[in-house]
Amino acid sequence: MPLLIVENLQKTYRLGRVDVPVLRGASLAVEEGEFVAVLGASGSGKSTLLHLIGGLDTPDRDPERPSGITFDGRDLKAMVTRDLDRYRARDVGFVFQFYHLLPELTVIQNVLIASMVRRGPGARSAPARAAEILDAFGLASRLGHRPAQLSGGERQRVAIARALINEPRLLLADEPTGNLDRKTGNAILDALARIRERTRQTVIMVTHDPSVAARADRVVNLEDGRVVSEHSRPLRDS
Amino acid sequence: MYQTLLTRKYLTSKIMPLLASVAIVLCTAMVLITWSVMGGFLKSLVASGRTMIGDVAITFPNVGFPHYQDLVRRLQADPMVEAACPMIESYGLIHLPDGRNELVVVKGVEGDSYNRVTEFHKTLYWRPLTEPVPKDEFGDDWRLRQHSLWAGRLADGMALREMDTQRAQEVPAAVFGIEVAGFNIREVWGGYTPGVVRVPQSDGTLKDQTVLMFESTITLNLLAMDPTGRSVETSTRQVPVANEFQSGLYDIDKQTILVDLGLVQQMLNMDEAERIVAGSAPDTHGVVVDPATGRESFEPARETTVDPARVTSVLVRGKGKQEDPRPLAERCREIYRDFAAAHTGVPPPENIRIATWEDQNRTLISAVKKETGLVLFIFSFISLTAVILVLAIFWSMVSEKTKDIGVLRSIGASRSGVAMVWICYGLAIGLIGSIAGGALAYAIVWNINPIHDWMGQQLGLVIWDPRVYYFVTIPSEVETDKAVIVVLGGVVSSVLGALIPAARAAMLSPVKALRFE
Repeated sequence: MPLLIVENLQKTYRLGRVDVPVLRGASLAVEEGEFVAVLGASGSGKSTLLHLIGGLDTPDRDPERPSGITFDGRDLKAMVTRDLDRYRARDVGFVFQFYHLLPELTVIQNVLIASMVRRGPGARSAPARAAEILDAFGLASRLGHRPAQLSGGERQRVAIARALINEPRLLLADEPTGNLDRKTGNAILDALARIRERTRQTVIMVTHDPSVAARADRVVNLEDGRVVSEHSRPLRDS
Repeated sequence: MYQTLLTRKYLTSKIMPLLASVAIVLCTAMVLITWSVMGGFLKSLVASGRTMIGDVAITFPNVGFPHYQDLVRRLQADPMVEAACPMIESYGLIHLPDGRNELVVVKGVEGDSYNRVTEFHKTLYWRPLTEPVPKDEFGDDWRLRQHSLWAGRLADGMALREMDTQRAQEVPAAVFGIEVAGFNIREVWGGYTPGVVRVPQSDGTLKDQTVLMFESTITLNLLAMDPTGRSVETSTRQVPVANEFQSGLYDIDKQTILVDLGLVQQMLNMDEAERIVAGSAPDTHGVVVDPATGRESFEPARETTVDPARVTSVLVRGKGKQEDPRPLAERCREIYRDFAAAHTGVPPPENIRIATWEDQNRTLISAVKKETGLVLFIFSFISLTAVILVLAIFWSMVSEKTKDIGVLRSIGASRSGVAMVWICYGLAIGLIGSIAGGALAYAIVWNINPIHDWMGQQLGLVIWDPRVYYFVTIPSEVETDKAVIVVLGGVVSSVLGALIPAARAAMLSPVKALRFE
């Protein structure tokens, strides 16, 4: 059974008096350990899809068109706010295009804050784990720096480290290279690839760049809020 | 807790919350200083009022009651009572050296017993001083010199007697309230010096003369009454002034003179006297005409009795501090009941007024309490600006930190968790501001007199003028319980100011927050 099943997802935003449908029945299934890229043009609904999967937003409820998001057998639509908060804290890690680091905190604090929010049994070992992840990302010498003192690539690596500190089962990356030059973007994708090699981390990444999407195991094309096609990347030679 | 981490970071990296803290500091300090000074003022007033009247007064005005010596003895035998003394309170007219007549309250007391009950010797103004009063920088106080003169004045004042050098005997004397005659000049350093007035001379001319009340003799007029309360005659005596007192209450210092009890009893016909029993004397008022010779002779009454001396009040001082004198008043009532049962001719217990010092000063104390309450209310209301300021600053900070709120929600922070960030922040600002404000208030109140003096010297600003207020120095004591209330109030205000922005932050949609530009 897939780790994540998205069925017939609808989402409409209201802008003033106008209803703007963003997702019009998007469906998707993601296996555990899979790296899926959602490819689409600007306004195709890919970020909205990611927010709904991550429990940041809720899909439309239309009795005539049943829809749902099921994560590990749990229906997100049935979850109350507190359950969704817990879901985001334990099962999901977000990486954003504009990093979204907290400017007052240092690198290590930006990573640790996610474990502080989760308050799980691993909270005591979190500082050592954060230092280890940051070291793996080549940021060992930057632990006490503020985000403003880092380059774009470094900031995105800190954001990925924050997303991974609680060892989530699903990593959601929203245009993770969209704000970086190609070389730095590739370095970020390499870092993600290394993590996957080591942990078989499930990743859903949305992007408008086909060359970035090509790094995924499977590419899902989204147009006007619907999945129009998908194809898998041939397995690399071992 | 991430709330603690964020609160610490926001506190150390932003200017705006520091401004909110400063507002809390100022409001806390303002309220605490006001409360301390007004509270100290009230405390001083209460202490001053008590000085002249003891803890409880047993009173039957005007005609008074007899056998008071027995009442005093019974009271002093009680374990709750430290001392008791008799007193007569009446109105009198005094004729002053400059020709004026003034209506005054005359209190007839025995120096020793009155002093045991009220410690009035502490209020006697003319006494030897070894150290100048706090604001007398140049040593202008007359009492710093001629110590032997002042020592004599102090002893005479306490005894309410003075040596008549012409007759070589002690005579009854009076002690005036320091403001009664109006000759003394209140100096900027808070003390008095005798003033110069135009005094009428025997040849009808006026002459400028420094009037030393404590070396003057005044004419005292009292209206005597018989035991039934009917006016009998006006009694007039020349009375030397032995000293002056300063109780600290203007009304008392302006209207009251103390006179030797024996003299007042004589003048009011309240002393012990022999009385003819009705019907025992001839109808001819003692004059008998011999029918044979026609000569008149005096025939004494066949039967006389002794009217005991009377007083209008007995003042009582309880043992210990007597913060609440009501139990003592109740005990005095019981003792009076027994006393009335043992004597004939004394007013029944129902007609006697037994009042505590609080009852007697109720109007004044209530007025000052109400003033303190009013000022505190106004200042607390003004302090609401701090709440509004915290609200405005936090509202603006929530807007500024909208994206951070979105990030926190994306990593799993709950709505209440996000709200707690701002509440913790408000709490921290409130704690810092209130504690610093409390410390500032302590520092200012402890040094309020030097600060006030400095302002007077440098800026010419005199708020607490010793010529107006009866306390030379501004009360300078902060009570811990008041400080705790004000500091807690500051913290609560700050948290209240943070509540609405915190609720706003909690209600933000995480997606909208993340997309906020």
